[in-house]
Parts: sequence; structure tokens; C-alpha cells
Amino acid sequence: MRDLLARVAGSGPKPAQGNVRRDLGGAALAFAAAAVLGNWVEEFTAFEWSLWAVQAILALSLTLVWGYGGIFSLGQAAIYGVGGYTYGFWAINLTDNTGESLTAVLVAVLVGAVFAALLGYFMFYGNVTDVYVAIITLATSLVLFAFVNSTSGRAYRIGDAPFGGYNGMPRIPRITWRLPGGESHELTRTQFFLFCVAAGLLIAVAIRVLSRRPFGRIAVALQHNELRTGLLGYDVRWHKLAVFTIGGAIAAFAGALFAAWGRFMSPPVFSLTPAALVVIWVLVGGRSSVSGAFVGVLVVKGFSSWLGGASGDNEPIVLGVILVLIVLLLPGGIVANLSRLRTWTQSRISLSATRLGTDAEAVDYQLEPSLASPTPEVAQQRARLIATAAVTKRFGGLAAVDAVTLEFPRGVSCLIGPNGAGKSTLLDLLSGRQRPTAGAVMLDGQDLTKREPFLRARGGVGTKLQVASVYESLTVRENLWLACYAMPRDIEEADRRAAGLLEWLDLRDEAEQAAGTLSHGKKQWLEIGMVVSTDPSVVLLDEPTAGMTREETERTANLVRELGEKASVIVVEHDMDFVRQLDAPITVLHMGSMFSQGTFEELSGDDRVIDIYLGAHHSNGSPSDSRGPAPGRPPNAGSAEADGAITAGGSADADA
Amino acid sequence: MAPDRLFNLGFDLATTISILALVSSGLAVIFGMRGVINLAHGEFIMLGAFATLTGVRSGVNIWMAMAVAAAVVGLFGIVVERLIIRHLYGRLADTMLATWGLSLIMVQVVENRYGSVTEGISVPVGNFTVGEFSMSKYNFVLIAAAAAGVVATYTIMRRTRYGLLARAATQSSTMAEGLGVNTSGVNMWTFGLGSALAGAAGALLAPVVGVIPTMGQTFVARAFMTVIVGGPSFVAGTVSASGLLGFIENVGTNWFTPVIGQAMLLMAAIVILRFLPQGLTGTRFRR
Repeated sequence: MRDLLARVAGSGPKPAQGNVRRDLGGAALAFAAAAVLGNWVEEFTAFEWSLWAVQAILALSLTLVWGYGGIFSLGQAAIYGVGGYTYGFWAINLTDNTGESLTAVLVAVLVGAVFAALLGYFMFYGNVTDVYVAIITLATSLVLFAFVNSTSGRAYRIGDAPFGGYNGMPRIPRITWRLPGGESHELTRTQFFLFCVAAGLLIAVAIRVLSRRPFGRIAVALQHNELRTGLLGYDVRWHKLAVFTIGGAIAAFAGALFAAWGRFMSPPVFSLTPAALVVIWVLVGGRSSVSGAFVGVLVVKGFSSWLGGASGDNEPIVLGVILVLIVLLLPGGIVANLSRLRTWTQSRISLSATRLGTDAEAVDYQLEPSLASPTPEVAQQRARLIATAAVTKRFGGLAAVDAVTLEFPRGVSCLIGPNGAGKSTLLDLLSGRQRPTAGAVMLDGQDLTKREPFLRARGGVGTKLQVASVYESLTVRENLWLACYAMPRDIEEADRRAAGLLEWLDLRDEAEQAAGTLSHGKKQWLEIGMVVSTDPSVVLLDEPTAGMTREETERTANLVRELGEKASVIVVEHDMDFVRQLDAPITVLHMGSMFSQGTFEELSGDDRVIDIYLGAHHSNGSPSDSRGPAPGRPPNAGSAEADGAITAGGSADADA
Repeated sequence: MAPDRLFNLGFDLATTISILALVSSGLAVIFGMRGVINLAHGEFIMLGAFATLTGVRSGVNIWMAMAVAAAVVGLFGIVVERLIIRHLYGRLADTMLATWGLSLIMVQVVENRYGSVTEGISVPVGNFTVGEFSMSKYNFVLIAAAAAGVVATYTIMRRTRYGLLARAATQSSTMAEGLGVNTSGVNMWTFGLGSALAGAAGALLAPVVGVIPTMGQTFVARAFMTVIVGGPSFVAGTVSASGLLGFIENVGTNWFTPVIGQAMLLMAAIVILRFLPQGLTGTRFRR
């Protein structure tokens, strides 16, 4: 059952498995088959087939961008169009003089990449997300459509090449090559077909290789949980931009081949139907399946000519119906669903173990060496002082945090306060998830206020969020690997440390299970493990023990104390037992301001603190009552025997 | 600048802004309230225009035909919601794909039925002259209708029982259900309302634009940019984004060509989103 759950929860895109040699072998085999077929059939048929290969390359660009990168781009067809027109301009102007058009292909790829990079910069650096990306890319295509349509005048030309407006750009040269000093050769139809197939297969292999590299794993990670990826110290925006730019280059390459194939470009390439077509190919083939790109093009083409071609021009209707039905019935795509059926019948092979290093080579994970502080002197240097200076955060009229000035020295500090006191907001300001309205956040005297969360993470600020934020559909091991890779950026080191962490966190049995299937407490524990493994010098923990058993809470308390010996640890917690166990200086927040500071004993004797927790009328209760027993622990543990909680009528010695 | 020229420019600008507000308000309701991106929005507009055209052709009074068209598209929206959208709430990308499929189907079906030739309805009111400039009185209708549409939607959302329930379902669907709200029914009416607004926009635009099956494409990009740039607050967002983007488009259109105007609108929107990812009303207003 657990296995089944893990599989369902883990059905999202995954990094591709296998190795390069196998991929290349498969590609070589496919190419050989294409070569035999291409030479066997009529030249003209082979030429027709080239279009299929070209469109598969276009589909691959979306597989990379959407399937692996999680960027829902509807603009791949538009970049394809840009590539095609660019090839047209260069080839028309230069091929007569230079005798080759490969430069034009190269220029088209560059222009496509630059176009994607520019668009991507505005989208990703503006933190524009998923559907907004879809809309912006789609709107961009439509504007390009309108623009190119309006360029029919003679004024719109580059050199000898006219835009041609709605009439299109004719007489684009075919792919031609020439060795320096040699003669110029135009590719024959069969050669062109094989050229396209080879290019498509190479790109497919390259995408698979890339997806197994850390770059690809991070791309998959940010698709699953952008927030956590940023908090581990990865630059989410840069990664998205890079993926989108590479995707743009591939799409533009396909466009150049398309222009050379049809020798003609016209504005409808920017319209909605081609844009939808690309998405449909990829959906049919499976979003994150490289071979699915080829299959998808073939299936959709066969289907729409079979159904639409017979009764006139009904292709859009067929496409539309396919789109609606896929979304309603088969959200994973055909190939992905087929392969899921296959794995269903087999026992689940522990893919991650082979991919992410085996347990055999695990290091014996201990907190001490992992924090890389062999001597107290080094530890001294690593601990850093995070502080706020009159930091304020307003939401509309409400000041969630109001001019708070605090310093958190090395060691553990606790932040407590009733609900709505501003604790979590204050942590968000420290981690960079929110920008203050006024005031500053400092780390060792450096102003962090405007620094992005991922840069703070790289600077040693580790954050555990209130609601556990892990990669729910990746396995526990993959979660830890991503955390371990973030800082040293060393694959083998990350493999070993992830395996060691699994032992240390006692999650070995769950290693290949999707993190989303863990119990609430274990998920928290996993997230804490991920934060610790980034080697932070400032640790922000927002309610780390929520949902933990008493035993887990105690382990967490021990861990936090251990961490506190080397780092500044700031804990927000409601569980007073836990706070007492930490035996750390406490800051009480109330209505966004600092209310009081002191040790546990001092505060538990302070009537004012008790009042804000319970309201003035109930100053005889215990504050942990206000929340009831913590989930996951025996009901009587929280309230009835609240010996550790702040009790009213504080003792005289606490005031001393 | 001569006063008549100034009036002409201002009137022209107000018309552009009103058209933007008209074509985007239906989308803003559906997206803002239910987080559904209706990519067939442009085709809903197109449907409104064709419904008006059909009505006028069969001898119905044009204003009557427009009202019926809005209702027809609203009903159509309800059917679509029950058949498709209902299953896809919370799956943003999927709703987008499904409605895209729908838009492809709608364009082709209408094209098969009516052909792809531009159809026209004559403008029901005449022109008026200020100084040297002759302008269409119909633009007053567009401006008034845009204002009325925004005010009416606001009133429905803020002053009626349905509006309260719809906003409750927006904020927390599970909580609303827990309190006994029939969120499924509320969602259906919200989608219907947004569709009716799109239909009304199509009906009102039918006399001033070419009524062709692909006319949705010309509006959908602008409508989406307006909604995104507007941000979460319906009235403030629609008004401010239509105003700003309409101004930019108007300047581009008057100085260069309509296409450049559209391109400038898009570029402005992208630049705005780079610096205000939540839209114009994202930081100051909370939903």
C-alpha cells in the first residue's frame, strides 16, 4: 500500500534514468532505422517525413522547458517562427555569396536564444509564475502575429529579403554546405531527412543527459517546490532563465529547419493553432518523456489527418477535442501512462539508489563533521550575528511587525507570543521571503534587507518553514540530495552525505518513498535535516515540533541545542515544554512589537506575559492551554500536567 | 493644441480604455474569483458578436439582440462550466489547456457555419461633430457600457447574497463548504457571470469591429494583459490597468500604427510585471 501511495504521489516528472551510453545506443539504432527507411522509400516521402522530425525537435524544446523545467511556455511555436524568419533573412541574403546556409541556421539559433532570454529575464526576474508565464508567452506570439501580418509593404525588408506580411516570405534557400575552398552542396531530400533525424536524436540525448546532471535535477526540484529550492540556496530565477533560453535555442533551430524545408515562412506560424499544436504533441507524448516528443507528433498527425482531413478542414476541432479529453482523462500523456502501467506490474526498482549513490558508500553521518567545524575556533568564526534594526512590515493598515530591534547572538534564542504576534512574519523578514516596509535586517553588520532569499541561504541562513516545505513528490533521498548538493556543489559528496543523513535521521526505510507520504512529524524532521545539511550559520526554525511525537520533540530539542553550539538558532514555538527544554533566552512578541525578554523562569513569573497569552481575565491558566495539546501527542500531556509550562503566580526566585 | 483636437484625442482615449475594460472585465471576474484562466475568453466575445449578428439579421432590434446575446453567452458559459471547468478547479494549467481546446473548437465550428468572411452590423447611431472632427456617437455607448459593467459587477459582488458567497468561496473554498455554502453552485454562477460579461463585450463591439470567427484572437492577448497588470482588486485593477494600458496603446496607435500600439501595450505590461509581479493593485489592495 505504501508503495502504491509512493508511486501515485511520485507520478510527477522525474529526472530521466539510465546512462549516456544506452541513450546514445538507442539513438544510433533509431538513426540506422531511419537511414534504411529513408533510402528505401521514395525521396519525396522521406522529405515529407522530415517535417515530422522538425516538429519533434520543436516538441522537444517544450519537453525541456515544461516537462523538466516546469515553465509552462506557450511561446515555443513563436520562437520557432522567429528562428524560421531569421534563417530566411540570412539565407536569402548570404547563401548566394557564401555558398552555404549553415551560418544562417546558427544565427537563427542565436537569435532564438536571445529572444527567449530577453523574454525570460522579464518574466523570471519579475517572479512571474506559471500561468502568467503562459499568458505572457501566448500574448507575445499574438503580438508577433499581428506585427508580421502588417509587414506587407516594401519598406519591411532586410537586405534582399522581404517580410512579406500576410503573403509570407518566399524563396528561402535549402540547407547548403561548403567546405572552405570547396564546392557548395545543397542537401538532397533524403540527406535533409537524415540530417533532421540525427539532429532530433542528438537533442533528445542531450536533454536526457542534462536532466541527469545536477542542472536538470535542480530544474525538476524547482518545478516541485520553488520556495524550498530558493531557501536551500539555489538561484531559482537563473535556473529558469537558463532552461528557457536553451529551450528557445532548440525551438529556433527547429524553425530554421522548417524554413529550409518549406522554403517559405508566413505569419500563421505565430497564431494560436501552432502554439496549441506543440502543447498537444507534448501532452500526448507525455510531458517529461523525451521519446514522447517523437511519438506525440506522430500520433497527433495521424489522428488529425484521419479524422479532420476526411471532412474538410476540421483539424482545429480534432485538436481541440484531443486537448479537452487529455486534460480530463489522461493528464500524464499517453507514453507516461503506458510506462506507468508497465511499472505497475513490476516491482519498483530503486532508481534513486543507483542514481543518487548507494548506501554502501554512505558516510557515517554525524552532526559534528557535517557542520565542518573541527575546532572551536572555526566554530567561533562560523557563528554569525543576525539582527534587525527597527524592522517593520505592514499589510495594508496592519503592522504585523512594528519597529522591532533585536539581536540574535550565537546559541539558541526562542521567539514566543500569542497567535498574530508577528513571529512568523519576523522570521520571513529574516529569511527574505518578505521585504520589510521599513527598517533593516543585518548579518554580521552587513545589510541583508534587499538580498534575495537564495543569497541569504548561500550566506548561511537556513530556514525551516511553519508548514513543512519539502519536495512532496520526490523521494526522501532526492530531497536530501538536493539539500546536500546546494552548498559544496559536489555530486559525490552530496551522494555520500545524503546517504549518511538518511541514517542519521533514521529515515532509511523511507528513503525511496515520496516525501509527501511521510507522517507529519517525519516530514518536519526531514525538513530540519535538509536545513541542517546546508551547513547554516543562522538557523530559523518556525514551529519545528508541530505534529511530532514526544520522543521526536525531545530529539529535536537535543538537535537544536547541538546546533546552537555552532550557529545562531532562532526558534518560534508554541510548545512550552519544548521551549523549556531548550533553556534559552526568550523574546516575547505581542502585536508586532517586542514585549518582554528573559529566561524561561523569569517570564513564567511575569503576569503581563501570562495576560497577553490568555487575556487579562484568565491569568490563572497555563499558556499551553490556549492551544490545547499539540497534535500527535497524548492528550493529557499538554495541559493537565503542564508542569513545564509557564504557570501563573510565578515564584519569587524567578523575579530575582 | 486646438480644443477640438484635444477633445477628439481625449474621446478617442476614453474609447480605447473602455474597450479594454469591456473585454477584460469578464475575464477578471472568472480569473479573480475562481482562479480559472479562460483561454476561450476571446471566443466567448466572438460568440457574443455572432449572436448579435444573428439576432439583427433575423430582424430583432439591435439593442435587444445585444441583451439576448449576453444572456446566450452567459448560458453557454454555464454549460461549459458544468461539462468541463467543474472538474478542473485548482488545476490552473489544465483549465487553461481545456479552455484552449474549447477555443479551437469554437473558432472552427463558427467558421464552418458562417464562413470566414468579415460580417458587419451597421452602427446604430450616427456621428457628431466637434470643431473639425467628426466622431461616432456610438463611442459614448461603449464608454457608458464599460462604466456600467464595472459598477454593476462591483455591486453584484459587494451588495448581493451571491456576491458574498462567491467571495467567501474565493477566499477559502473548504471553509465556505464547511459553513454550508454550495460552492459548486456559486462557481457555476460566477463562470456564467463572467461569460455573460464577455458576451456583452462582443455584442457591443460587433458594430465597430469586423465580426469574424478569429476575432477573439485580437482581444484575448490585450484582455489577459489588462487583467494581470490590474492585479487582484477587481474595480481598482480593471480601471487602473485599462487606463494605463489603454493610454499606452492609444499613443502607439496614434503615433504609429495599431499594431505598434498593441506591441507597446504588451511590452509595457511585461515591464510593469517585472517590477510589480502582483499587478498594479497587488501591494496596496488585498482581495
